[in-house]
Amino acid sequence: MSDQAVLLDGVTKTYGGGATEVAALRQVSVGFPRGSFTAVMGPSGSGKSTLLQCASGLDRPQSGAVRIAGKDITRLRERELAVLRRDGIGIIFQAFNLVPSLTAWQNVILPSRLARRRPDPARVRELLHRVGLAGREGHRPAQLSGGQQQRVAIARALLGRPEVLFADEPTGALDRGTGHEVLALLREAADEFGQTVVMVTHDPEAAARADSVLFLTDGRIVDVLDRPSVDQIGMRLGGRR
Amino acid sequence: MTLVLAWNNVRTNRTGFAASFVAVLLAVMLVSSSGLLVASAGADDELNGIMGLLVLSALVSGFVSVFVVSGTLSLHVLRQRRTWGLLRSVGMTPWQVRRLVMAEALVVAVLASAAGCALAVPYAGAVAAFMRAVGLTPAGIPLEVTWGPFVLALVVGLVVTLLAAWGAARKAVRAGPLEVLRESAAQQRLMPWPRAVAGVVALAGGVALLSLVPHVKAVAAVPTGLGATMALCVGASALGPVLLRGMGWILGAPAAWLDPGAGTLARASLITQPRRAMSAASPVMLAVALACTFLFAVSTSDAAAGVTRTGPSAWAAPVLVGSGVAYTVISVLNAMAMSMAERAEEIRLLRSVGTEPGQLARAVCWESLIVTCAGALLGTGIAAASLAALGKAATGELWFAYSVPQYLGLVTVCAVSGLIGGLAATRKARHGPLIS
Ligand SMILES: Nc1ncnc2c1ncn2[C@@H]1O[C@H](COP(=O)(O)OP(=O)(O)OP(=O)(O)O)[C@@H](O)[C@H]1O
Ligand SMILES: [Mg+2]
Repeated sequence: MSDQAVLLDGVTKTYGGGATEVAALRQVSVGFPRGSFTAVMGPSGSGKSTLLQCASGLDRPQSGAVRIAGKDITRLRERELAVLRRDGIGIIFQAFNLVPSLTAWQNVILPSRLARRRPDPARVRELLHRVGLAGREGHRPAQLSGGQQQRVAIARALLGRPEVLFADEPTGALDRGTGHEVLALLREAADEFGQTVVMVTHDPEAAARADSVLFLTDGRIVDVLDRPSVDQIGMRLGGRR
Repeated sequence: MTLVLAWNNVRTNRTGFAASFVAVLLAVMLVSSSGLLVASAGADDELNGIMGLLVLSALVSGFVSVFVVSGTLSLHVLRQRRTWGLLRSVGMTPWQVRRLVMAEALVVAVLASAAGCALAVPYAGAVAAFMRAVGLTPAGIPLEVTWGPFVLALVVGLVVTLLAAWGAARKAVRAGPLEVLRESAAQQRLMPWPRAVAGVVALAGGVALLSLVPHVKAVAAVPTGLGATMALCVGASALGPVLLRGMGWILGAPAAWLDPGAGTLARASLITQPRRAMSAASPVMLAVALACTFLFAVSTSDAAAGVTRTGPSAWAAPVLVGSGVAYTVISVLNAMAMSMAERAEEIRLLRSVGTEPGQLARAVCWESLIVTCAGALLGTGIAAASLAALGKAATGELWFAYSVPQYLGLVTVCAVSGLIGGLAATRKARHGPLIS
């Protein structure tokens, strides 16, 4: 089992209660092998973001276990979780990724600074360059577009080479060229550095870069495709409609 | 529709509403009880000796009330810029937004003023009893409840609240919906020129009053000095954002050096949002400036006259300035809580990228400490200027008497209430669930 970097076992997550109860995840069990790149697809509201939040320890599921590197993170204390999020996990959200008072550069090095490490400036510069933000280092989030902000978050998540990377629609707001570069970065993280990448996406082309694609509907995993082509993914999505 | 929106706003901005309510309530209570005391003492010839001090402390209370209520209300309205921008972008007219803001302010003002008036009588009674107990007024002040003070306090409470809300609402809707949503414009226009002009005029007025102090009659010296302090406070708080950016930069440096993670975060948010920081720093400045001027002016003139006060009369100044200072200290807590409450989203983000609970708490503490320090420094500077002028009037030299324990006590109380306000307002964001 230890080759699974992240393992979800019977995870159930419901929001609200009574009449407004929404089951966002129902008994989801899935493993993400170390060094793999997995795409998560499904209709809007199917529970993709919730899956990411539970798998990364941001949210606690009502039942089930989430293991990262063999440790059940639903049982960790707040401080241990913080250290795990800082050093072991990189997260890229759909929106609101950056601390408004810090510049792009400062946002990228924030986790290292919190861990009292001095990151290599050359590597920070290279990462910002590769996500297309060279020359924007000193800008604050309010001066960046939504897509640029998300790319700063991508650079931040990549900098510490965390064991696991979670990305919620990292290419959703990007043009093709920049999107390709971001996907190349994620691919590289898995191939060269053995990081485990879990990416939510609506784009079949982006999903086709992954090793496998999970399909989520109504909080359940309904299908898994290994090394699919763009057409296969398109057909799988089309077949549902 | 407007009612539904207003109600939702109340629910999502509890801290802001609570803070505004408390500010108005205490202001009305303070003004009407000081008025009651002055009116009651005025009816009694034997109390002539204490009358001057009572009037002075009533003036201080009134000034503090106007200052704090307007500051709290405009902070409360401006904090909701995003809501207003969102409402504008879905088609609400500026006029409708303004009406919504005013309706909310009116409800707060009426309820809080009523509560303030109700509490004024027992409070005035308590102050009178205290003055009697320490021997300031051996016969006590026979309280006479008349309408005048209440009418005055109600008018002040309502008018100041509504004016402050009106001004802030104008500012909030003048920025286009998009500008507000991106929030960049609000940050860049640090010092709009009307504000800069008002600040400079107030400072100039303060300096003019200072230069008058040595030339007026001896009885008028202390009131003139206090007037100078008030004018300088108004000026400094108008020019505050610029001052605070510099002070945050300097005072934040040791914090960032001592505690790289948390200190850097605190410093960055002070430098990028000096207006928010100033709204929390100005009550501290006010408390320190007014209390020091009031307290040490008395000790300076005593020292110049070779008087050493013991027993009851040593209490005169502290007792009379006490209510006003207590009010500003509460508003330090208030303002810090409000300026931290809007940071919930940011705090959750910091947690999700791995900020430890201790680091977060320290970042909040650093920020409130730096803000209170900056406010205390400004207040100290202002008080020192007024006191030096008073000392010159009394002795011909630039000199004044002061008490280090009283000063440190005051600053500590401000710092502690700032810390409590900051930590309490961020508690839920720091410990609650990350996904709301
Ligand atoms: N905080 C919340 N409170 C209540 N319900 C929620 C909350 N967050 C999500 N939900 C509900 O849970 C379900 C799954 O939401 P989730 O955000 O995981 O969807 P998603 O697959 O990421 O959608 P999208 O593609 O639009 O981002 C939805 O029905 C949503 O309404
Ligand atoms: Mg989502």
